[in-house]
Amino acid sequence: MNERAESATAVEQMIVSAARLIKNGSVLMVGTQWPVIASLLAKSLHAPDIAICFEGGAVLGKIPDRIPFFTGDPVVNANCVLLGNSLDTLGMVLHGGKADMGLLSAASVDRYGNINTTCIGDYASPKMRLAGSGGACDFGSLASRTIIIVEHDKRRFPEKVDFITTPGYLSGKDSRTMAGLKSETGPYAVVTTLGMFHFDEVGEMILTAYHPSASVREVKENVQWDLKVDSNVKPLMPPSEKELEILRYQIDPEGMYLRNARLLRGRQISI
Amino acid sequence: MSEKKKLMSMSDAIEQHVSNGDVLFLGGFVQQEPFAAAHEIIRQGKRDLTLSKCAGMNLVDQMIGAGVIKHLITSFTWNPLPTTAHCFVRALTQEIPHKVEVEEYSLLGLNLAYFAGSLDLPYVATKTMLGSGFDWEQNDTGAKNRLRFEKSPFTGERICLVPPIKHDVGIIQVQRSDPHGNAQAWGMLGESRYGLQSCQKIIICAEEIVDTDTVMRDPNRTLVPAFRVHAVVDEPWGSHPHPMAGYYDMDWLYFAYYERETHTEELFQGFLKKWVYGVRDRKEYLSVLGAKRLESLRPETFTSEPVSYGKHTRHFEV
Repeated sequence: MNERAESATAVEQMIVSAARLIKNGSVLMVGTQWPVIASLLAKSLHAPDIAICFEGGAVLGKIPDRIPFFTGDPVVNANCVLLGNSLDTLGMVLHGGKADMGLLSAASVDRYGNINTTCIGDYASPKMRLAGSGGACDFGSLASRTIIIVEHDKRRFPEKVDFITTPGYLSGKDSRTMAGLKSETGPYAVVTTLGMFHFDEVGEMILTAYHPSASVREVKENVQWDLKVDSNVKPLMPPSEKELEILRYQIDPEGMYLRNARLLRGRQISI
Repeated sequence: MSEKKKLMSMSDAIEQHVSNGDVLFLGGFVQQEPFAAAHEIIRQGKRDLTLSKCAGMNLVDQMIGAGVIKHLITSFTWNPLPTTAHCFVRALTQEIPHKVEVEEYSLLGLNLAYFAGSLDLPYVATKTMLGSGFDWEQNDTGAKNRLRFEKSPFTGERICLVPPIKHDVGIIQVQRSDPHGNAQAWGMLGESRYGLQSCQKIIICAEEIVDTDTVMRDPNRTLVPAFRVHAVVDEPWGSHPHPMAGYYDMDWLYFAYYERETHTEELFQGFLKKWVYGVRDRKEYLSVLGAKRLESLRPETFTSEPVSYGKHTRHFEV
């Protein structure tokens, strides 16, 4: 491992790896949390001509004056080329088949790329209740390629999710198209703090690259099924100095994603 | 209805237009959230409401915790740090303060339901939500919703039919309105346009009351015309702790504060006492927040160039 790799955190590697998957000129539906920072990084580097669309009805025109803390952040208002209704973006862009890529965070992801952000346990009497879909189900249903960005934790990778908030390849093979979802849509990659996964011909997640400081074994031990590994599996290319510098000092200089969000949670604040 | 009587206090607007058991739409997608109205609904002890709101955040969480909601129609509910909305979770996992029925859709699904409601369409056919947990025909999850799944009469492919969702009353906080209810909003509008138009009655809460001439100089910005509106409330800062484009920022630390102050039922009761039951109206709420905090939320001004719609006074010479 070289020095650069050592200097990047696992979260930074995840963000950079996801950003590299974004092609210049593409139209993106961008969800809250990691997708925001990954898409802005791509726009600052190799993909200046991407259209970043948010579910509330916004199309960004530039890198916002401060990093949006989530896609409804009011900073978005004065940094858009179009600001309207959810039906403008989720409707006419996404349902209209104009979104090349959808980027999502997730609470958990299963073997076939199905995402759960709804509940742990039974839906009717859940052990834990999570936020629900928002636009996530729509991204996963309709975008040409969905990229899922998630911090790796074994609990987040069950063999089968308790609730399919966002459809991936359902139970594999042709089950996605049989359910009525358009062909040429569905999950493209999952990017985590341990590695990167793509999907094979039956729609099953397959490890294609691992974090430079992780190993194939470590990744396999951190999902709850017998994970397929691509024959060409290799370490991810560590972030370059330029990627790290732009990420840390231009995209998130206040450390909102890289530091503060975590610090805020659980902290006592008086008003 | 007399035009003069539309401009009224928040307590009168809620008392006269929101009844127990109503199906209530609350507009605002992160921005333009009608917090002042929601607090008044809680203070007046309304009961058995069906609350319909795409973006369920602290506002939905508080109404559930306060026990005014019986049935929730939503696409997500969280505390946008992002972290857990504790009252929502307590209601769904432990039935505290009581059982809440949840009817969930994806965000696009719910937008389409409002769209169908506003145009009085029998349904809208879509390709989203198929195969997901909302698709009860494919997944026996126990999720309750009003979706139907059919074959397209045109192509034979499997499609999802979204029902029209209509409401008794709709409320939103906007930037400005004239006294009659010609209401103008800008910023990220989410589902508000179609959500409001699917309501029988509409209450407009505005940061500022302006004259009709101001509205008529920029009619593209109008969200709802006066003939659809039943009450207008002059309520500055009505969306706090959520933002209002051009008026105030999100009060970020308030969400962290809310998370801590509501993580047990007992703490939540203390929160309600301080911020809802302990104040008479929005003015008193703002005095608890303090002028300094409010001032810190004001953004720098960032105005657009005026546009001309063109004034035409004559046709042509014959």
